[in-house]
Amino acid sequence: MPIDLPPSERMTSGHLACPGCGAAIAMRFVLKGLGDRVVMVIPACCWSIIAGPFPYTALKVPVLHTAFETGGAVASGIRAALDVKGDHETQVVTWAGDGGTFDIGLQSLSGAAERGEDILYVCYDNEAYMNTGVQGSGATPEGAWTTTTPTGSPKATRKKDIMQIMAAHAIPYAATASIAYPEDLVRKVQKAASIRGTKFLHIFATCPTGWKVPSEVSVGLARLAVQTRIFPLYEVEDGERYTINVEPKGYLVDAYFKAQGRFKHLTAEDLERIQERVDHGWSRLEALARIA
Amino acid sequence: MSPVTLRTSRDLPPTSRSLDTMEWNHTGSWRFLRPRYQDKVAPCAEACPAGEDIARVQMLLAQGAFDRAWLRIREENPFPGVCGRVCSHPCEAACNRGEFDAPVSINSLERFVADHARRQGLAPPPAEPADSGRHVAVVGAGPAGLTAAHFLRRAGHDVTVFDAREEPGGLLRYAIPAYRMPAEPLAWETGLVMSGGVRFQPGRRLGEDLGWDELSRFDAVLVAVGHWAPAPLGVDGEDLAVDGLALLEDVRRGRPPEVGGRVAVIGGGNTAVDVARTLLRLGAEPVVYYRRRLRDMPALPGEVAELREEGIEIQTLLAPARIAARDDGGLDLALTPMAVLDEDGGQRPRVVPSGHPEIAVAVSAVVTAIGARPSPGTPAAGLDPDGSEAVALHLRRIRPRGEWAERPPVFLAGDLVNQNRTVVAAIASGKEAAVVIDAALRDRALGDAWSAIRVGRKGAVSLNRLAGGDRAFRLDHVVRYDDLNTIYFQYLERKKRPRITLDERRTGFDEVHLRISASLALSEAERCFHCGQCDHCDNCYLFCPEVSVRRDPRAETRQIDYDYCKGCGVCVVECPRSAMVLEEEPR
Ligand SMILES: Cc1ncc(C[n+]2csc(CCOP(=O)(O)OP(=O)(O)O)c2C)c(N)n1
Ligand code: SF4
Ligand SMILES: [Mg+2]
Repeated sequence: MPIDLPPSERMTSGHLACPGCGAAIAMRFVLKGLGDRVVMVIPACCWSIIAGPFPYTALKVPVLHTAFETGGAVASGIRAALDVKGDHETQVVTWAGDGGTFDIGLQSLSGAAERGEDILYVCYDNEAYMNTGVQGSGATPEGAWTTTTPTGSPKATRKKDIMQIMAAHAIPYAATASIAYPEDLVRKVQKAASIRGTKFLHIFATCPTGWKVPSEVSVGLARLAVQTRIFPLYEVEDGERYTINVEPKGYLVDAYFKAQGRFKHLTAEDLERIQERVDHGWSRLEALARIA
Repeated sequence: MSPVTLRTSRDLPPTSRSLDTMEWNHTGSWRFLRPRYQDKVAPCAEACPAGEDIARVQMLLAQGAFDRAWLRIREENPFPGVCGRVCSHPCEAACNRGEFDAPVSINSLERFVADHARRQGLAPPPAEPADSGRHVAVVGAGPAGLTAAHFLRRAGHDVTVFDAREEPGGLLRYAIPAYRMPAEPLAWETGLVMSGGVRFQPGRRLGEDLGWDELSRFDAVLVAVGHWAPAPLGVDGEDLAVDGLALLEDVRRGRPPEVGGRVAVIGGGNTAVDVARTLLRLGAEPVVYYRRRLRDMPALPGEVAELREEGIEIQTLLAPARIAARDDGGLDLALTPMAVLDEDGGQRPRVVPSGHPEIAVAVSAVVTAIGARPSPGTPAAGLDPDGSEAVALHLRRIRPRGEWAERPPVFLAGDLVNQNRTVVAAIASGKEAAVVIDAALRDRALGDAWSAIRVGRKGAVSLNRLAGGDRAFRLDHVVRYDDLNTIYFQYLERKKRPRITLDERRTGFDEVHLRISASLALSEAERCFHCGQCDHCDNCYLFCPEVSVRRDPRAETRQIDYDYCKGCGVCVVECPRSAMVLEEEPR
């Protein structure tokens, strides 16, 4: 069955992303899911550069480039301004990296969610501060090399579970998505756009440059993350109702880790520990989905 | 594209807002790898001795383009209605889908397309005039001879086919039983060969009603008279036995013999199976005696399975020792129990008498089907390794020495030269004959051309490639299972071939296999991965981070815009069917 996506195209060629950039693919799919009436807020991240320098843009929707930590706040402000104008239809979308979401922008995101702002917050997760040269973030997985977690002492702590954080805000809709599952991704964008209140989308977006993988495997690696249950695809409604959207094949995590330069120092024991962690996370998710 | 440029402060907008897109930025200059659309060879097409473009045919079928699918097959094989019924279909054994769930039912689909074409009365494009000024004689109107005749005529030669019998088809018409190969679809396809301009002279048996004086007036001669002479059984009383091929021919001529009671059928090949199933339908109680084991039978496994379904007994490891007449008009058949001597070496093991006492069975008749020999009249020089030479995989040529020096070039094809005597190998032989004879008549050396016209590595010849058609541009790489991105395929059950009831099968000669419906054909064709063939699924277009795959939905073409493509290669990996390549960027 061929993949069926809306034909609209609101991203142009000529942008500045590295070859195989997952964030570029993610942007293209998200724009396909959103209609014409969109205002996008982009706090500092790779996409601040990818979209092109003034006076050019690779995005055919209105975009506000804003400060790193302000994704939730600026979107709230634009929402309020639009509401004052009587425009309750235009979607305000924050498009932020994992650093801008998990770390420095967490407070403004949390505030917006707590206030129930009617915005769609999209975090494209490439698991490090890529724009400034691969520094570790709260989204960097355990064991990964980054320039701030070098091979000698790779990331010692676990990736923050941003989905649990957002679920704890009891927002109407939070979902994970992947560039390898475009139909699922676009469906989630459309669903989020149809809901009033704070919506959160966590999109897995391979970074070939930062992960030290060949550009051509960008999508395949994202698929492997889903199939190994490292990045399961699911939705959480009202912070409670969990639905798993893609049943993973449950491949061992080795295939995923061994494909990437950023993990090449990991030992068999490391992988065993990570596998246990992934298995545990999966059974927990399954249990949550069962409750719902 | 020249971008908006800001020369002075007066050009600045009142707020810092964008005035233009990024399309001025030709990121193609970043590229050091270049993706390219490149169709490749599917394993089914490689395995098809007739070199049919199977993956493309399945694609056309899945699109509902049944007429085009038929024409596509006929480019390589004028007998889809025959092959869709009696082919041993090595394509299915090679099908990549077999590794995923089960092979595509390629054989049923071929039958479907052929029946569709016949019902609709489709006509192939008319042949060009025979203007080469050359005349070719083809002796033998079986699958090899007719295939050669068809393609030689298409190549512009004047072709006359001679056959000993009244109707064309050879063993398809006069041996293979009607429940497998009914007369009508065969007659339709041989009719298309003739209406394409091939002349047919029936009742001309080589060495009897057709001599070398007459044949020598042609510019080339192809002998494809097959194997019709029975192989001797080599036991006492063998003249009491009936030749299986002769029996099958009698039945197909509408002169079925009077049979009843237990009839012994000796052999384990397709003829033995055909004879036994024919006898059953005539009211007898056939028993097959085979000297080796069930698993060693050279007959097609599907045919053996159907024989057993019909309730016919097979007794193995028994070789005939003697046949003697009984007073009641019946026969006594003595059988020697055999034992397997060695397993290793060769496909069929050697067997020797086991030392157990002989077994005697009382039967009403004994029918032999232990293989056939070249038909009488076949020139001995052609069969002799000194008198002839192999000029292709399935083609020999008589050396122009002695009496043959005075004659036009004489070639042998079909069962006379084939090790593997299947219908599709005969067709393969006929194709090679057409290619070689055409080149000889035009004084063209084939030399290196063979590699350019073969499909993959198994020897099949493609006339599309020979003519410089689209298949000539395929990369000579056979797509293997690991080349596919199988995540994009779902498990789908292989469709079963509908059949008439067992009762109908036991009592009549109606075709056992029914035609599959159009909706079944569509959904079965959709199972095909289309290995190595772009089917416009658009994964390349959708996953491209550069939005640099351009589609023209009407013409159904995809193009990579190299002005922007950064050469990431995502499209190549996400192509489900390996119809792209990633190459170093030419400097
Ligand atoms: C307050 C502040 N600190 C640091 C920076 C520098 N900076 C710009 S982008 C960026 C990294 C962003 O990382 P992430 O949000 O993960 O997005 P990515 O670059 O990976 O796409 C940093 C550190 C900044 N712009 N503002
Ligand atoms: S899946 Fe289709 S193209 Fe591939 S081998 Fe099977 S029949 Fe041929
Ligand atoms: Mg990041």
